[in-house]
Amino acid sequence: MSNVLRLVWFDFKQELNPPVWIIMQWFTFGMQLAVYGALISRLVTGLGDYLQFYAVGFVVMMTFEIGSHTGRHFVEHAHEGRLPYLLSLPIPRRALFLAITLQGGAELALLLSVPLFVTLAIIGNLTVISVAAAVATLFWLGFGVAGLMLGLSFIAFRSADVYAAITAALGSLIIRFSTVFYPLIFLPPQYASAAFLSPLTYGADLVRLFLGFDPSLLLNPTYAAAVLAALAVCTLGLGVLLLQRLVEGVKSG
Amino acid sequence: MSEAKRILQVARNDFSYFFRTKWLMAILLSLNLSDMLVVALVYRKMMTFNYFQFFVPAVVVMGLFAASLDTGRRIWLAIRENVIQYYLSLPISTHGLVIAYLLAGGLAALVYSSSLLIIALIVLPAQAIATIFILMPFLFILAMGLAGIAATLAALASTHGEYFFAYQQVVQVFLLTFSTVLYPIDVIRQYLPSSLAVLAAANPLSQASEAIRQFAFAGAPIQPVFLANMLIVSVPFAVLGGVAYSFALSTIRTKGKL
Repeated sequence: MSNVLRLVWFDFKQELNPPVWIIMQWFTFGMQLAVYGALISRLVTGLGDYLQFYAVGFVVMMTFEIGSHTGRHFVEHAHEGRLPYLLSLPIPRRALFLAITLQGGAELALLLSVPLFVTLAIIGNLTVISVAAAVATLFWLGFGVAGLMLGLSFIAFRSADVYAAITAALGSLIIRFSTVFYPLIFLPPQYASAAFLSPLTYGADLVRLFLGFDPSLLLNPTYAAAVLAALAVCTLGLGVLLLQRLVEGVKSG
Repeated sequence: MSEAKRILQVARNDFSYFFRTKWLMAILLSLNLSDMLVVALVYRKMMTFNYFQFFVPAVVVMGLFAASLDTGRRIWLAIRENVIQYYLSLPISTHGLVIAYLLAGGLAALVYSSSLLIIALIVLPAQAIATIFILMPFLFILAMGLAGIAATLAALASTHGEYFFAYQQVVQVFLLTFSTVLYPIDVIRQYLPSSLAVLAAANPLSQASEAIRQFAFAGAPIQPVFLANMLIVSVPFAVLGGVAYSFALSTIRTKGKL
């Protein structure tokens, strides 16, 4: 375990020195919420308090971005030649995968801490259980997304350029075609069917349910929890498989 | 070969590099098209105000802005990867290189945003399509101004990638949120202090979005004062960017690094 923690810290300290990325994430959240969210919520008449809805959506979007960053980071390391070094270390592949997962989790916890606290403060009137359930859902979603990006890494092992293009485009579309920023009832029917394919729809609606939003605007929670669990288990399983079978012989550069 | 011809060759090289970057094209197109065809449409259903009509022309300006800012990334990459040393060894002056980058940045942004404009014209009927051709040169100058901002950031950040992307994000967030690209000026005036509302109205992105909305899509007659304002807010940025990048290049030429 100490080897795993050492590996986690080795990567994590690079994010903290200097913590530019972390500060930028918090700054962007603050500006988007205080200016964009506040102004656009004055235009939105179809929802009670759109600022609260938007704040939760932004936190879910951040979870997605941090999760996908963890997955992409692994692929970048493979192409920068760091992966062969990690594979040569005297630790089992399972421990290596655990280190990548833990690092993603630690990054997610750190980056989400301030935005989530602000969002919970805006919503107010919450119980410890509802907050804990929302946080657990966000982590589950984050791991699922990281696993998805790892799962797509087989493309990167053929062409890093195509992988970057696919993950970038997929990222924008997964966010836009979901209920992150608008409830499902406002989506045109053809977009609503696409939203059912986005994992963020399930994540965002489940988090909102735990935080006390009107259930009539949200998906069935049992359905959402099942989809999220399936996503995380399947994609992380695929990640383990990739790490054990496919990473050998990945060309650097 | 004349200096002008060399400038055009370097500009052509940088221009084609922008369109050959697959991941960048994927990000820009997926973001801008989904903003135009998904976000604008869904928000329209959530508001009593016709947000689709308001936002679709503004997405063209958002595309212009994002593409112009990429000039900074290309300059920063050239500095970090030392490609800049190769450029400095070419038989072209430092000023020539600066002009080439700003020209390429402005033109790439204009071509990219024109593709968005075509899609905008398909989904939203315009009252005065011919007016768009009058606006083009002004949008080009604006794109050069925005490319100038990006060049300044690249020169400031030197080889520190994390700082460059942080500066770029700060500029992007400030210029977009304090503008009339995303919401009407009336809402800004109601909610933000008057000084910020004045800044939002004077923002070059606001000027460009209002010009496309009013003159091209709504069909209002072009006001020369408005176009002059666009120039006034764009040219200083292009000059500042040119000076900053020129200074950075001169430093690299004499010291070998920034």
